[in-house]
Amino acid sequence: MADAVLFEFLHTEMVAELWAPDADPGSGGKKKSWSVLEGLGFRVGQALGERLPRETLAVREELDALKFLCKDLWAAMFQKHMDGLRTNHQGTYVLQDNNFPLLLTMGSGSQYIEEAPKFLAFTCGLLCGALHTLGFRSLVTASVTALPACKFQVVMQKS
Amino acid sequence: MLCWCGLRPSWTLETGSSLSPSLAAIPMTVHNLYLFDRNGVCLHYSEWHRKKQAGIPKEEEYKLMYGMLFSIRSFVSKMSPLDMKDGFLSFQTSRYKLHYYETPTGIKVVMNTDLGVGPIRDVLHHIYSALYVELVVKNPLCPMGQTVQSELFRSRLDSYVRSLPFFSARAG
Repeated sequence: MADAVLFEFLHTEMVAELWAPDADPGSGGKKKSWSVLEGLGFRVGQALGERLPRETLAVREELDALKFLCKDLWAAMFQKHMDGLRTNHQGTYVLQDNNFPLLLTMGSGSQYIEEAPKFLAFTCGLLCGALHTLGFRSLVTASVTALPACKFQVVMQKS
Repeated sequence: MLCWCGLRPSWTLETGSSLSPSLAAIPMTVHNLYLFDRNGVCLHYSEWHRKKQAGIPKEEEYKLMYGMLFSIRSFVSKMSPLDMKDGFLSFQTSRYKLHYYETPTGIKVVMNTDLGVGPIRDVLHHIYSALYVELVVKNPLCPMGQTVQSELFRSRLDSYVRSLPFFSARAG
């Protein structure tokens, strides 16, 4: 089992590289950085979605897929489970992590909170990609209210 | 309190050592802490009980501390009559003791405490590994080689020092 810190350092550098000053001519640059990082996460998520499910629990329903994300995917990536999962039973799910590892070192409370969202881009893509492999199309966004807690909102798309 | 002015005390304070009973009455505490990197940049400074300032601007104080430590380290290794093991560990005056810990990467943790405090290498190492490495090195928003801005680091360090067995909240 690889040391979690290896991925954390790599992720830090990815964010730093994509948000480097000269790649930022106004808001156009920032959006591009976000989508690049999200795209990376998407492809990683797709691959993990294929590789991770060891027991062939047929993921029949949406809820099974979400549970897979909250338990198996999260445990593989971040060595913990998601802290909360809520749904409106109409295709929208909110995944809550109270101690998100990529935000854990940044602070507790309000310092650094403006910088925090870019550290969630990769993970948004990751969730979207994993769901895609399991056969679900979705839209994932993230928000931070107080470090190190964050929420991922997954809206299932009807194709 | 025992009185030594020729009067016979009517009661005695039980202490572990019969030699210096007054030592038990000295509150042990931490005065302040400096954190330097390999280039002499002062990454962090915290103060808990410091009754006297150095009388010079903080920047100069950090340079003075770093320069002195640098000289002492090389002096100690040069003049050592035996092969060096850990090198310079601490010095003490009649009022305070300075403890020193340096990592292989050149990060230096310097803590000033009361005289009653014994070797605290493990405490200084904890400050390095569990606080500095975890909250500063691993923090994507803390650039290396600069003064630490992270509030989380500051508050965790403060709680840790206050929780130490030799830290007394009453000023010494």
